[in-house]
Amino acid sequence: MTPDPTAEPDGGVQSERAVGLLPPRHRVERRAILRWMLGAVAFPGTLTAAVAIACVVWEAARPWLVVVVIALAVFTAVGVLIEPFWRYAVHRWEATDDAVYALTGWIVREWRVAPISRIQTVDAVRGPLEQVMGLATLRVTTASSRGAITIGGLDSDVAAAAAERLNAITQRTPGDAT
Amino acid sequence: MSAPGPRPNAGEPNGGGADAGAAVWQRLDVRLIWVDVAQSLLSLVPAAVALVVFRVEPSWGTLGPVAVIGVVGTVGAVADMLRWTFTRYRVTPDRVERRTGVVVRRHRSVRRDRIRSVDATAKLRHRVAGLRIVNIGAGQQSSAGESAFVLDAVRRPEAERLRGALLRTRLGDAPAAPSGATGESVAATETSTAVRPDGAGGVPVEVFARLKPSWVVYNVFNAWAYLMALGLTWGGYWTASMFGLDAAGFVGGLADWDAIGVAWTVVIAVLVVGAVGVVGLAANFFVENWNFELARVPGDDGTLLRTRKGLFTTREVNRDDNRMRGLQISEPVLWRWMGMADTNVVTTGLNLWSLYEPTAILPRGPITVARRVAGRVLGVDPSPLEAPLTRHPRAALRRRLWWATSTAAAVTGVLAWLWLTGVVPAWTLWAGAGLWPLGLLGALVAYRALGHTVAGSYLVVRSGLMSRSTVALRRSAVSTIAIRESWLQRRLGLKTVTAMTSAGWGAYRAGDVAAEDAVAFAADAAPGLLEPFLDRPDPVPGPRRQQAASSP
Repeated sequence: MTPDPTAEPDGGVQSERAVGLLPPRHRVERRAILRWMLGAVAFPGTLTAAVAIACVVWEAARPWLVVVVIALAVFTAVGVLIEPFWRYAVHRWEATDDAVYALTGWIVREWRVAPISRIQTVDAVRGPLEQVMGLATLRVTTASSRGAITIGGLDSDVAAAAAERLNAITQRTPGDAT
Repeated sequence: MSAPGPRPNAGEPNGGGADAGAAVWQRLDVRLIWVDVAQSLLSLVPAAVALVVFRVEPSWGTLGPVAVIGVVGTVGAVADMLRWTFTRYRVTPDRVERRTGVVVRRHRSVRRDRIRSVDATAKLRHRVAGLRIVNIGAGQQSSAGESAFVLDAVRRPEAERLRGALLRTRLGDAPAAPSGATGESVAATETSTAVRPDGAGGVPVEVFARLKPSWVVYNVFNAWAYLMALGLTWGGYWTASMFGLDAAGFVGGLADWDAIGVAWTVVIAVLVVGAVGVVGLAANFFVENWNFELARVPGDDGTLLRTRKGLFTTREVNRDDNRMRGLQISEPVLWRWMGMADTNVVTTGLNLWSLYEPTAILPRGPITVARRVAGRVLGVDPSPLEAPLTRHPRAALRRRLWWATSTAAAVTGVLAWLWLTGVVPAWTLWAGAGLWPLGLLGALVAYRALGHTVAGSYLVVRSGLMSRSTVALRRSAVSTIAIRESWLQRRLGLKTVTAMTSAGWGAYRAGDVAAEDAVAFAADAAPGLLEPFLDRPDPVPGPRRQQAASSP
């Protein structure tokens, strides 16, 4: 069916068990859990606090603000207590000589694979929180505006080394990346 | 001014390509000034006619509009002259540069190997003066709506020369990025029976489609008809009253509207206005698409897919076949019964948001024509766009029904709460409940649109609620593959496979594929990419083990 030599013949694929994806090789740093927790405290947490204060101060709006406060509090609690551990259990990554492969998400999981030959930029990004904790985010973009792969929660040295290596491989891989 | 040795555009009579005048900064064509002068004079004509011929009393009420036309025309012309004065451009062996701007100076430079399209347009005034506006599209950003590089305007031979020079991407120009080394072959270009020699150089031009007047039917029935009609009626009323005709009184005298009653008056008004709109849209269709022709023409490096159309404004778009990654046919849901279809190319470097739709290779027309032309443009037989698609499992329908139900329930719940607190009246609850059957219907329609397959070297996906679009994307053009699974999808045994590419919308999804087929489909969609990561039932001692040492 397919003229492509790299494609494997499909015979027998459906026979017993379907084809699956192996999980990527490496986990992210355990410190990432704390980083995600602090992130959740920073965004929905402060908003919850602000609305709660408004609820206390502004009596007229209390009947409906209470609902908002409860919703935000649940949201924050999940973000601090559940999401980071769940994410740590899911998140994995791998960079071979041919492709970058990442598994991210918690309620919605996503496997992404990008070939090295299509990579346009490789960045190691470090926000303020990440700098304090010695973490970094590896970001790989391809010619597709939608095809970027972001791997958060890496040790900053590991991320820098991976970025260095990917840049080197990308430069000797032919192609105009479109 | 910093331009070294500015000189008026000399037109390069030898036609010796871009390299001859490589490093010289050139002006836009000087004829632009004459066009501007003519435009400002012309814009004063209505006022003059009104004053001299019709001897209109000069007051703001009567002369205001024509005065505005005159002022706008003159100011526009003066601004255009300033723009001409401050604009320079040049083509060097590896880049195109342009400096422009009076207050804010802009210097833009584009690498020539990033140029994806060069097309020439002309408004009526440009055509009279033999000028062309050259639009240069570059890089993947322009598919996200970023502005291209515009030269407004140069003389026609110069436009032809620029197009020839810029679309010629020689390997020598870009040693770092040899295009075509990505393993992508040039789109198939076997010429079929409809080959005719071009008058100029005896080169074959393959014509795929010409305008069929019957296509007008597909272009008049839409909501724009009413907008068009309102514009036309307002303009007509306005013109009539300027020359002293009482249009409102004329319409009022046509019938005894009081006797007919409000309801019938509204019905008649809607019908008449709709009819006016349909006529307007039909005229507009012919003005825009007159002499439409879709053809594959030889370019300097490979072939170009060319569309040409327009009665007053001729618009010609050339798309480099090397940049083409696939085709998309979309069918608006309300008009699927009459087989209405839009046909677009999936290509890099064309602006999807442009009003002129440079990706559309056919006017809106019958699906049979769209399919036939698409097959010939792709040069593959049988056409991947007609390949039988794999249906998605029933669970995909259940997921959509679940979402429709929960959305309607959530909206109704919020409305109920607002009703209890006395914010909204009770009937809004019924509106919320009415969402439910609509949502269920939408879920069914969206489910029936789903489909995916791999046909030859193309990946085909179909989806869409309001507009069912079928996309055939070259598998070699897929860059990133993503497989997504939400909590609900895991329960239902579904996965969504997305193929990212640099062309078109950037990502094409096969939503809710059966979980056990998803990985195999994804592996087929991007040949070789997923191989090292596959977990096959019969364990292959694959390359994965060998790569263990090289991973960090």
